[in-house]
Amino acid sequence: MSQTAVLPPARASAAPRARRRAPDRGGRPWTFYVLAALFVLYVLALYGPMICIYILSFQDVRGGLVFPMRGTSLHWFVDLFTQVRTGDVKGAFGRSIRLAAIVTVLTVIVSFMAGLAFRKRFVGDSVVFYLMIGSLVAPGLVLGLGVGLLCNLLGIEASWYGSALGAQLSWTLPFGVLVMFAVMSRFNAVWEEAARDLGASPWQTVVLVILPIIAPGLVAVALFGFTLSYDEFARTLLTAGSLNTLPLEIWSMTLNVTSPSLYALGTVTTIISFLIIGLSLGTIAWMQKRRARKTAR
Amino acid sequence: MADGNGSIELAGLVKSYDGVTRVVDGVNLKVPDGAYCCFLGPSGCGKTTILRMIAGHEDPTDGEILIGDEQVVGLDPVERRTAMMFQSYALFPHLSVRENIAFPLRVRGAGTAERHKAADAMIEKVRLTELADRLPGELSGGQQQRVALARAAITGPRVLLLDEPLSALDEQLRVQMRQELSRMQRDLGITFVHVTHTQLEAIAIADIVVVMEKGKIRQAGPARDVYDQPRDRYVAEFLGGQNVLRGKVARIDGGSALISADSMRDVVVPLGAHGGVAVGDTVDFAIRRDDVGLSRPQAVSPESRAKVPSRVRSIEYQGNFVKVMLDDVGGDELIAYVPDRIFYLDPVSVGDVVLAGWDRDKARMLAR
Amino acid sequence: MAKRRGTTHNRTTHNRTTHNRTGWLLVLPLVVVLIPFFVAPIVGVVVASFVQSDGFGGIVPAFTWENYANIFTSRLTLDLYWATFRFAVFAWFFSLLIGFWIAYFLVFHVRNPLLAMGLFLLCTVPFWTSNIIRMISWIPLLGKEGLINSALLGVGVIDQPLGVLLFSSLAVVIAYVHQLTIFMIVPIFNSMARIDKRTIEAARDAGASRFDIVRLIVFPMSKTGIALGSIFVVSIVMGDFFVVKVMSGGGSASVVGAFYEDVGVLQYPSAAASAVILTAVVSLMVVAILRTVDIRRELTK
Repeated sequence: MSQTAVLPPARASAAPRARRRAPDRGGRPWTFYVLAALFVLYVLALYGPMICIYILSFQDVRGGLVFPMRGTSLHWFVDLFTQVRTGDVKGAFGRSIRLAAIVTVLTVIVSFMAGLAFRKRFVGDSVVFYLMIGSLVAPGLVLGLGVGLLCNLLGIEASWYGSALGAQLSWTLPFGVLVMFAVMSRFNAVWEEAARDLGASPWQTVVLVILPIIAPGLVAVALFGFTLSYDEFARTLLTAGSLNTLPLEIWSMTLNVTSPSLYALGTVTTIISFLIIGLSLGTIAWMQKRRARKTAR
Repeated sequence: MADGNGSIELAGLVKSYDGVTRVVDGVNLKVPDGAYCCFLGPSGCGKTTILRMIAGHEDPTDGEILIGDEQVVGLDPVERRTAMMFQSYALFPHLSVRENIAFPLRVRGAGTAERHKAADAMIEKVRLTELADRLPGELSGGQQQRVALARAAITGPRVLLLDEPLSALDEQLRVQMRQELSRMQRDLGITFVHVTHTQLEAIAIADIVVVMEKGKIRQAGPARDVYDQPRDRYVAEFLGGQNVLRGKVARIDGGSALISADSMRDVVVPLGAHGGVAVGDTVDFAIRRDDVGLSRPQAVSPESRAKVPSRVRSIEYQGNFVKVMLDDVGGDELIAYVPDRIFYLDPVSVGDVVLAGWDRDKARMLAR
Repeated sequence: MAKRRGTTHNRTTHNRTTHNRTGWLLVLPLVVVLIPFFVAPIVGVVVASFVQSDGFGGIVPAFTWENYANIFTSRLTLDLYWATFRFAVFAWFFSLLIGFWIAYFLVFHVRNPLLAMGLFLLCTVPFWTSNIIRMISWIPLLGKEGLINSALLGVGVIDQPLGVLLFSSLAVVIAYVHQLTIFMIVPIFNSMARIDKRTIEAARDAGASRFDIVRLIVFPMSKTGIALGSIFVVSIVMGDFFVVKVMSGGGSASVVGAFYEDVGVLQYPSAAASAVILTAVVSLMVVAILRTVDIRRELTK
């Protein structure tokens, strides 16, 4: 409530900022409207362009890269998967999804273990921590070049399931571990101690106590692992070898394809992304709901 | 394994995390099987560390821990057959009440039917049958405590260790759960070791109260002994209910010392076990606040009473008694708890000059 | 049954070494990935930067400073760094400006916590989609015949399409801000969400205006988030080349772009030297930011 209203006039004038404020009856300050407008503009700018290309990808054969829409059809989607000109999109899709799946599994396991380790100090923990931060911020292409050079040197042929997998992990793992930090900060270590006190072995403690409690967090780690790998470009460019992943395919298309095929590919890959995001968020929501529902019985 | 014997012996127990400061500093204690023992002390006095060492969550730096006459240092909690009830309970948030209570059986490999049966029996014992399928997050503090108790007790431990079990509850519930703990301890017939910083809690439920300060035991014994006959100034002040006065020994007369200080002359205090006190020593003695009576300066009182002239500084009505705070005696506060009915026979008021008096043999000499 | 482990003295040291062992066992997989795929490549690049090129894609294993000398004596390199650095500053400034206020809005102005979380997720969803696609999606908007030019022409503000919108430095900055603001919003949002709302009320009680509160309470307490976001934005822009390449239409070059062209013509040693310098510059910038806050303490607490 307004405090200044009860001040005697002399004091009110002594404090220049003291002005009678309209009583707070649930209304919003003007800053709310300014910031809300900024927020709406931001979200529009975030999604607007993407929505434009989704729409434009559904043009018919006359379609071009800009508005206005010329007819509606699935022509460019068919074109995408059948034309030689657009490259091996289907193969790239398969590789990207398989690669992302492998990366996801490894990221979840390795991040979970590292998350457990970093709860307590151990000798050399800072070295590992800064190694991780370094790996996260190192320019991707430089890292890719290094991996490529090493492959040359060791006589290993670069491949999406070998060198590119490793290069991607050097990027998804630090991310996963950072997410695990946030997850573990909400895990009370006393649960673990209680489990031990009640007779659980270390393995039982992990399976029966730690994993179920932090499961939603692990889904979030998986989401990061999958999407970061699925869209990874810089680290993969010099390490994928002769067969392209999807982002590399898109990259080469941006350089030589000037038809709505490019947009169609954008639409398809975004649908996949949204499916994964929906699936992950849905799983997290489902886990939390199931916990709550248990009690309603 | 000595069966059912939950006696505990601590011998020369020391814990130091940095090798310099000792959090627990040479503790020796025997707790008989089936006793309710309370560790009492301010935070940081080492009481929780002792509890965790008995439980097996921490290893002592030095010394021995015997449970049922068997050396347990280095054993896992399960091998010790102890169970701990954690501060704020540490209930597993993803498991229902029944699953929480059945957890110790589950990790011991019991089948679903078997463990649910045992858990349900336990749930009934702690009167939570209606809530068996709830999650801990939806229980009140008192209910959570009962779940924690049931979970700790289900495997039939010989010692139950409770870390500040009542601190998460509000005042009213605390009294209620205190009784519940007492009842459970009698039902189970096992040793309880309970850590608290609340004096009232300790003396209300414990058979043995252990008062601690800075890693050391100051006094251990039955609740009434510790309250009524504190060993030293620290114990007397920490447990409360006592006036602790300091003065110089002016004369030794038979089994008593005559003690003087500013505004206190030749107060007779029985020496008791403190025969070594000599004339000129500075000593502390204690007198229970409810043993102090007030009279007008001109009133005549028997020779057997010690008297200190003073003045009323403030008065607080407490219901069944009146707390009268008098002027300090030699730097120590002097307080009288006068029963309500007696006070109002001749009520004093702030500023009145009075004589505070007590039966000579009620005063107790304290260790230095 | 009375088994004892070790002497009384080394019980505690035993405990500590046990945790060191479990700690290392648990981070071992992480280290096993980081050594060959982060440490070794960086070392490899550093080594490669000191050898000679035979001019045909091969390398001659002889030590030389020449690769670095070439870079430091070239006017072109300095221009490249300057151009990239300028993009980094612009991208950092605008993404911080927008990100800070968006996070502030979500934490302090949206009263329903569920709605705030939903709006927050709305902001983060594009992060999980393809960057390249989000970048090229500006083409139908910013192009000569794009929506913005058409609209402006239609209204009559301009009489011929603005070429500056696409394939220009402006377009590069737009694309960066579009992609990177999320890296500011998330950590700043997290920092702000941890601020105890009562400190704000206490400040108001003490007579602070809304602006004072932002300046004296919210901003200092969001420092960790700002530092984290800045690290992401700066390191990504410094290491990027494809946004510059696509959005500038070839008009602007970047450090990594030049480096990529070196790789393209198999000039590995000079590319490696350029990479080493770039990595050093990025590291210095990150270290400078890290000096302002103790990130690890903030992250793990």
